[in-house]
Amino acid sequence: MTTCRVRVERVTSTAALSKHLQQQVLSQPGGGAIELETLTSRGQTEGDNEEELEVGWQEKLFSQYEMELFQNESACQTPLDRQYHTEVKALNKAKGRRNKRIFTYTDHDRYTSCLALQQLQTSSDLLSTTKSSPTFLAERMASVRHRRQDRRTMDGSVPKSKIVNWEPTAEFVKSSHVVNNAMQTMHIMGDLAPAGRMGQKENEYLLVTIKTDGSGTVIVKPDFNDDKEPYRIVTAGDKREVWRLTVKNMCTPMQPEEKEREQNVYKDLYVRHKEYLNSLVGQDFEMPPVGILRYMMNAEIVSAKGFEYDNLYIHFFMELPNNWSSLPFQTLSGVTQTCRAKTLGKENVAFFSYPFSFEAFYMSEKESEESIPQWPVIYFKVLSLDSWQRFRTEGYGYLLFPAVPGKQTITCHTWRPLQTGTVSALRRFFIGGSPELEDHSYVRIPGTFKGERLSRFGFCTETTGSVTFNLHCIQQARAFVDATMLKKRRQNVFDQLGGFSQQGAVCTILEAFQRARKKMQDARESLPRDLVHTTSQLQVESSA
Amino acid sequence: MAELHIIGHIVGATGFPHSSLFCKWGVHTGGAWRLLAGLKEGQTQVDIPQTGDMAYWSHPIDLHYATKGLHGWPKLHLQVWHQDYFGRCQLYGYGYCHVPSSPGHHRIDCVTWRPLGSWQEQLAQMFVGGGPQLRSPDLIYSGADRYRLHTEAMGSVALELGIIMRHFDKYGVES
Repeated sequence: MTTCRVRVERVTSTAALSKHLQQQVLSQPGGGAIELETLTSRGQTEGDNEEELEVGWQEKLFSQYEMELFQNESACQTPLDRQYHTEVKALNKAKGRRNKRIFTYTDHDRYTSCLALQQLQTSSDLLSTTKSSPTFLAERMASVRHRRQDRRTMDGSVPKSKIVNWEPTAEFVKSSHVVNNAMQTMHIMGDLAPAGRMGQKENEYLLVTIKTDGSGTVIVKPDFNDDKEPYRIVTAGDKREVWRLTVKNMCTPMQPEEKEREQNVYKDLYVRHKEYLNSLVGQDFEMPPVGILRYMMNAEIVSAKGFEYDNLYIHFFMELPNNWSSLPFQTLSGVTQTCRAKTLGKENVAFFSYPFSFEAFYMSEKESEESIPQWPVIYFKVLSLDSWQRFRTEGYGYLLFPAVPGKQTITCHTWRPLQTGTVSALRRFFIGGSPELEDHSYVRIPGTFKGERLSRFGFCTETTGSVTFNLHCIQQARAFVDATMLKKRRQNVFDQLGGFSQQGAVCTILEAFQRARKKMQDARESLPRDLVHTTSQLQVESSA
Repeated sequence: MAELHIIGHIVGATGFPHSSLFCKWGVHTGGAWRLLAGLKEGQTQVDIPQTGDMAYWSHPIDLHYATKGLHGWPKLHLQVWHQDYFGRCQLYGYGYCHVPSSPGHHRIDCVTWRPLGSWQEQLAQMFVGGGPQLRSPDLIYSGADRYRLHTEAMGSVALELGIIMRHFDKYGVES
């Protein structure tokens, strides 16, 4: 049962004095000896100066004005009015109403919505200036009739027809331009007239407003103040009187069993939803075999810019160093479409938007002393092909696969081998054709390179444009399942020692990886063959 | 199984010849992926910017995938179309990009290209509109047939995607 207790009390000089005296008396030791009755004010009945009432939710209490109004049957226009009329008649026949000054306006009364507008015009509690008229939006919000909106769907489904309302009515505009939650309102009012002049509409003051919507929000304005100072209401009119208002919450709290039951219902609901999701998802996941690192890269060639000629295309292929292998059906090369460039800013840029993905497996054959493995490389060349079927190489470049997983955008610059002299330049211009590299890996480190120093002395190139790649790298290994814990711990130690945590992370992953692999190998040797479960499709070939 | 959430929106497009644009988008995954919740394709509204060049859509993308393996990571394909004053729709570009594989907030610029026909078709396109389209946009994903196309660069589509990954680290995936 939701109830609240409202108390209004007029502040008069005698009342203040008597209260003060009472307090003085009480604070003295042995103060209970004096009779408190001598200190109450006389000459004024209790009911005129104060009233304390317990009001339930949407409980209709009539004011003096309403009692007089609803006594005549002719004043009743709506069925609600007629109902009030019967109630008033019943009350008069019985011992009268239990409230004198405090009364209520429930949700159904026609005054409920007008009060908001009235209050808006009279209250200026937001700003310090006294003469500020309410803004356009404030007026709109106040005059919105808070009624239930059945047509508003809560699940956010889009109506199939009539998305746009081409001719909104004024009512539609009012209700959809401003926030309009369906709230049930109740106003507790007080008739704060001086003694003997009750029953006039001008002396009605709003004491408490209680609003609630269906989802469990209750707004009480002003707030409960049973442990604080009472609120002051100053009446207008010739006699300015001060009234004190106290509001106290009398709701019975929910029983602990009920609370528990509610919690259990929620828990069941969530658990059931979680189980449903789990059943959809399942438990298995494809894992690489033990001791193998799977490297997966989703990349796209985004664009190429700054090249000499138009209608560019890119031909690329991947190279796997030792200890790396890939699946048999994996394509390791590709050709993009031919794209005509457009001018963007100062440069000509060609958009490829060419996604490709690549998967490789790394398995270290021996316990190598090299802590960092060699990563695969993409070699690419940019060519141009024009309408006369002239072919020109525009540039060579390479891209090293990143060692750290994540997203990276890499721009690779390219160069073109150049033959000095006018003949080759003329040939390039008129017929197309230009020197090409025989061994593409020359771009980085030639395959035939042995020794310590790479010398490219005598090789002449010209700088051409650049190619942009977007790379998303994922690495997967069984060892990582444990290594993540180790990495977290190791990183703290490195940070304490002041080491570089990124390098440390790479080394620790590999260390843990080697350790786990060794453990697995030992364990595998001691187990019979059929207990070891590996994916049968994968055939690991070591590259020559 | 691991789960992937893709939560974000298609912000808008910029860099196209005319700005009265709409976008058809879709997400394409491999066989091991399963869509648990969300719409994996859709079409935005037509946006005609009054000032500036960028057409804004703010079209929400909210997807929940469950997967058994890393193959076939989701890819996003976009088709940008132009609706002109007379109500005709004309293709302005195809764009393809991968959904990012690292968790967090990503701002993606997906560039687009449009297929070119012969010079007669290009001339007609200048006056009447239209132009060649791909018969089946899905073939592009395999990448094998791309080299046969002759295209021209168009604008770019901006997306903001937030990626949340669940249980991937339990299976030893680092991303």
